[in-house]
Amino acid sequence: MAQSTLQKLKNRWAAETRDEEKLASHLRLLRAVGMFAGSVMLMRNFGDLMAV
Amino acid sequence: MGSAISYCSPHHALTAAVCGDDIKLPEYTNLPCPVMYEEITREAYMSLKPEHFEGLRFDISRAVNNKFAMSNRVFMGLIDLPGNSGSVQKQSTGHFDVGANLVDQKGKMDVVLVMRRILSEGRLSAKVKYDVNNRFSIKADAQLTNEPHFTLGMFNFDYKGYDYQARLTMGNNAYYGINYMQSVTPKLSLGGEGIWLGHQRKSSMGLAARYKADTVICTGHVKSEGQINFTYVQRLSDKLSVASDFVYNWNSREANTSMAFDYLIRQCRLRGRVNTNYCTTAYLEEKLTSGLTFLLSAELDHIRKNYKFGFGMTIGD
Repeated sequence: MAQSTLQKLKNRWAAETRDEEKLASHLRLLRAVGMFAGSVMLMRNFGDLMAV
Repeated sequence: MGSAISYCSPHHALTAAVCGDDIKLPEYTNLPCPVMYEEITREAYMSLKPEHFEGLRFDISRAVNNKFAMSNRVFMGLIDLPGNSGSVQKQSTGHFDVGANLVDQKGKMDVVLVMRRILSEGRLSAKVKYDVNNRFSIKADAQLTNEPHFTLGMFNFDYKGYDYQARLTMGNNAYYGINYMQSVTPKLSLGGEGIWLGHQRKSSMGLAARYKADTVICTGHVKSEGQINFTYVQRLSDKLSVASDFVYNWNSREANTSMAFDYLIRQCRLRGRVNTNYCTTAYLEEKLTSGLTFLLSAELDHIRKNYKFGFGMTIGD
């Protein structure tokens, strides 16, 4: 029986998160992207406080 | 007739007398010339990648006349060697470096010759830049060593247009490269590169974009080797700029973000950086008097337990 799109997504999510190595690489990527976006927002909104 | 709109070629647009005073030029003729493809991240890496070193370093430079200058460098310190299981092994090293710089100008063009020779390792590196005219220049880089297969040579042919820059590169071992950067809007420029390694039969290509506003510069870079790179630089004041960069390699699944600042405080320049690998660096340059600069460098890598400290002096401008 053909799998529905939702089931395929669930299977893909399980495959990517249950494997330890893949999960570690995804978390590293998420941490780096989050820090980059956070640093850009911090610079744009609060950078004037650092200016001498 | 009167206030009619007329269009001029980019060349004619430079002389209003040809086109008339009451013209409205299309936007594409007023685009600025972009930076070279290799220099799109120049402002970011001035803060993110200062010249860290570990050990002792002395630089002495003196100008013999308006065109000729000599420089000497003494370095004693440690270099990192890759060890087993990711550990770092250090090896002590020391070398003495003699350099000669020759600059000749014809009008606004430069003919520059830079030569360095590292005595202890027997290596000679030389760079020559010649401006044929105000749009076309030729550069040559060479590195000669006693060790076989480590000699390098490269020629760069640069052309600077009204709103674009192009470079053709040819090197030894059948290395060919070409890159191009085009201004699309007054603030946005796009570019690409292609590289061919003849001996290994490998090729690679890359795409880049650069957005430059009054105080902000953003760049994006994608390479076919599997690397994505984004940088963001913001100049908060005349004395302070901050930068951030994101690097991701989809082959090795490694991602890294760095944040840095660049402070100009009176006579000194302080640069600091921290990244997602828990590595912290700082670099201080303090001008003690005219022609005397004091250097301090520190890098703390807490994950690999690798700590580096450097001390140096620079005499001469």
